[in-house]
Amino acid sequence: MIEDIRGTFLHRFTSLARTRLAKSREAAGDPALLGTAVRELHSLAGEAGLLGISDVVPLARRGEDLARKLGSGEPGESLVAILDELDQIIAQLG
Amino acid sequence: MDRFILRAEIQTARGSVVSYAYDLTPRSVFVVTDWHLPIDSRVTVRLSLPRVLEPIEVAAHVTSNRVAGAPGELGGVILEFDSARPSLDAMLASLTERRHSGAPYRVLLVEDNGLTRDVFAYSAGRYFGTPESISIEHAEHAERAWELLATQRYDIVIVDYFLPNADGASLITKLRADKRLRGVPVVAISIGGHAARDATMAAGADVFVDKPLVFKDLFATLQLLAHLAPQETAAPRPTILVLDDSALALAVTRAALESAGFSVEIAEDLGAFERARATCDPDLILVDLQMPEAYGDDIAAMLVGTKAVDVPVFLFSSVDEEELARRSHEARVSGYIWKGAGMNELVRRCKEILEHAA
Repeated sequence: MIEDIRGTFLHRFTSLARTRLAKSREAAGDPALLGTAVRELHSLAGEAGLLGISDVVPLARRGEDLARKLGSGEPGESLVAILDELDQIIAQLG
Repeated sequence: MDRFILRAEIQTARGSVVSYAYDLTPRSVFVVTDWHLPIDSRVTVRLSLPRVLEPIEVAAHVTSNRVAGAPGELGGVILEFDSARPSLDAMLASLTERRHSGAPYRVLLVEDNGLTRDVFAYSAGRYFGTPESISIEHAEHAERAWELLATQRYDIVIVDYFLPNADGASLITKLRADKRLRGVPVVAISIGGHAARDATMAAGADVFVDKPLVFKDLFATLQLLAHLAPQETAAPRPTILVLDDSALALAVTRAALESAGFSVEIAEDLGAFERARATCDPDLILVDLQMPEAYGDDIAAMLVGTKAVDVPVFLFSSVDEEELARRSHEARVSGYIWKGAGMNELVRRCKEILEHAA
């Protein structure tokens, strides 16, 4: 039954994930918009977690924490690199 | 051929709409809507006949748009399902099996237009044949309907949205807040289009149907609803109320918990949450941590501390478990459920919490 539910929502998840990652990518270039990346990546982590797409969760959480850090003016690794990695995982899901 | 009216909720990446559907087959369904969806758009559709048939969610794509035409031909979209689903076959079998009830059927029609009331009664007489198989009472306004509801028992209430004084949505809200009446199926009807649909569905109507009514379809659906009585006597299912700003997270959570036998109410914002809390009497509340209007731990703490909510309140989030544990402790709520553990764990925890609370 749970597998059925996962199958039903998988396409909607990947479509929404692409939108969330695109918004995060736009925000990544502007410190004033990093709050958007925080929210989008947070939601992505929750949705992926519920659907059992477990490799997305820690990466999205790492991106969320990093966006929060960068938004506070602290230095950090590249948010774009994390978004690239997430994009690749989503592309493999179909 | 008789057609059954099903409740249909279409969800896309851009949003969702609650409407109704006809012509369910193992491969497709027609959903009445004024939404324009491009051909091949991917959607999730949730089909149900509230209080009679369990909801099922199916991934689908749009194969054609239909413009409203002759009387009875409504506008909408034809959705083809992406894959066969056993639960869909079971729903179709139920629709076929539940064709006839021997019991008299008691309908309350709340409608201020006398001519519509007369046409309804005449059409019902023709459809059901024997006068003893259906009993219809009329109320021309919400106040009279409430008087009747207080003293009589009905199998279904059909409520027009535009009524003198209090509108149909107010009546439905009142009915859903009443412990004795909240389980009665309610069909809302109106010429008011999506504004009337949104108002009545938000108030708690099970299905909304546009006027002019196709009586034959409505009566075929009423026959299905007539089988409600055995379910009414069954033990009530625990209700879980979930607050989350992600429509997808809500849809997945609801599907998982309903598949485990729970009744689930969802709210995407604080307004919807307060309305749901007032009407559904939940046994467990799950609150997402990161809401746009307020943090979930503050909302949960307020429920427990100020509103004296005495059912378990749990934080529900994907943040690290350590932080989630700390925040639920500080908010003095019952605990937390980590989204990252997936649907099976969500179901297991809810069962455990509710067994412990019983």
